[in-house]
Amino acid sequence: MKNKKQGSAQWLSLIFLIVLGVVWITPLLYGLMSSFKSNLEMQSVGFKFLPINWLFTNYTRLLQNTSNTPVFRWFLNSIVISGGSTILVLVVTSLSAFAFSRLRFRGRNVLFMFLLSTMMFPPVMNIIPLYKIMTTLGWANTPWAMIFPAATGVFNIFLIRQFMDNIPIAYDEAARIDGASDWQIFRIVILPLIKPVLFVVALFTFTGSWNDFLWPSIVFSDINKMPITPGLKLLQGMYVADIPTLMAGAIIAIIPTFILYLVAQKYFLQSMSLSVGVKG
Amino acid sequence: MVDISSKSGNVSTNRKKTWHLHGKSFPILYLLPHLIVFTIFFLIPLIFGIYIAFTKWDLVRTPVFVGWDNFKTLLFSHSIFHDQLTSGLWHTILFVLISVPFCILVPLLLAVVLNTKPIFAKFFQGLFYLPSLFSISAVVIVWSLIFNPNYGPLNTLFHLDQVWTGTQPWAWMTIVILTVWWTIGGNMIIYQAALNGIPQDYYEAADIDGASRWKKFIHITLPSIRGQLLFTIVTTTIAQFNIYGQPLMMTNGGPNGSTTVLMMNVQQNAFGSGQSLAGISSAMAVILGICITIVSMVQLFLLRNKD
Repeated sequence: MKNKKQGSAQWLSLIFLIVLGVVWITPLLYGLMSSFKSNLEMQSVGFKFLPINWLFTNYTRLLQNTSNTPVFRWFLNSIVISGGSTILVLVVTSLSAFAFSRLRFRGRNVLFMFLLSTMMFPPVMNIIPLYKIMTTLGWANTPWAMIFPAATGVFNIFLIRQFMDNIPIAYDEAARIDGASDWQIFRIVILPLIKPVLFVVALFTFTGSWNDFLWPSIVFSDINKMPITPGLKLLQGMYVADIPTLMAGAIIAIIPTFILYLVAQKYFLQSMSLSVGVKG
Repeated sequence: MVDISSKSGNVSTNRKKTWHLHGKSFPILYLLPHLIVFTIFFLIPLIFGIYIAFTKWDLVRTPVFVGWDNFKTLLFSHSIFHDQLTSGLWHTILFVLISVPFCILVPLLLAVVLNTKPIFAKFFQGLFYLPSLFSISAVVIVWSLIFNPNYGPLNTLFHLDQVWTGTQPWAWMTIVILTVWWTIGGNMIIYQAALNGIPQDYYEAADIDGASRWKKFIHITLPSIRGQLLFTIVTTTIAQFNIYGQPLMMTNGGPNGSTTVLMMNVQQNAFGSGQSLAGISSAMAVILGICITIVSMVQLFLLRNKD
């Protein structure tokens, strides 16, 4: 009786998911298919899902453009910025989390609570002065303008510390008896054990930096230096009458995070439960 | 630091030990990299930003302190800035009011459905999460094709002639739809994890009492995931208050400025063409920031007091 009831619920669920799933994926697939159409086909054929003639020229034209919309350049800039941010965030936050989790010092909890409390200030309030600081340092239009602000985040420290707190302190003590220093405990004992959470932090930092829109569109005015996310805004202005090319630009921009997701889906999904296990 | 100098006497005999900081703790060395970056690129800009709100500033010359003038202009005068603040803030709040319920209920429904564990559940989970990995500019470009009045599938397939982004209420609808599409993934995963954590005996006990599916949802499921609901309502509201990219790229604030949100005014006044009005723009940002903080505190208070 119960199994039968459960079975029917599962079938209803499946039908619901298929319908909504189709709705969900259609915009993306339609955009993808349109990126292979010619502009003429787009404008004359009306509704047709698949291209009549599969063209790759929209992509090649965009990637070869080096003047007003250097998409390939933007792509490389984004790789440098997101990669740099990820490395800095990993180094800086894991060190800090180690101190908060494992080292004893005066004011530890006060400092940690202070850092956490700053999370309630929305980033809109510091964007104007941050711009001034970046131009003063001469870092506007350089990757540093995005890499350093990325490493200010407190939530990553929070996550890593939480993860570290679950590692038995006995591990440290065993190493300490063998004469290990703090640094050795961090490098040899802790670091290998926190790899899962570091991987999660890395994925989120990379995609977060890749997708950041407001800040880079303010701090990058040089068309050759900007990353691809604000670049797409320029592309939209430039190709307002050439939708297939515009679609190709958007598809190029989402490829890296899409691939990351395919490779590391488990970690993306796990991270959400990590952050909620903490807050919930 | 004191420890180093007091030990300096036996540094030569103990050089290797000191170098490795054996048995000694220097927590500050681990904290410092983050604290330096945090101070320069978060704390100072934050404090400076609040100060700037009380000045007249063009981003170049020295800021001139003007007291509460910016706030008086924004809140009480009959000026363009007052209009920008009131309409921009109202549009932002309107968007929050419309979008947040969907951004909570749609993922909650999906999580409940996925929790019945149908086949391909993992696949669908991945599918619904996928859009949240993309940038707002890519998302808007894809959706602007869907809603394109001339060549978009919505008009061509259903033989409509609707200028979706150029007429209300459709302009808001397009923005809300793409926002829901873009953002539900995270909340869905959170609810799924929460639902998985509810002990199965609760439901079995309710089954014995003959409780309906809906009753079980209201009396067992919802209370059990209250913490996660609270968390997502607060974070989603904060996230939607920061709306900027959607109207900027989808509707360009139109039609007739009816989707121009406050962040667009902040950005325009500080970094738009012409002389920068960083002072008044900062004051706008501070007001928006205060609104966000107040709303999230009220939410926390209301939802915590239910027990």
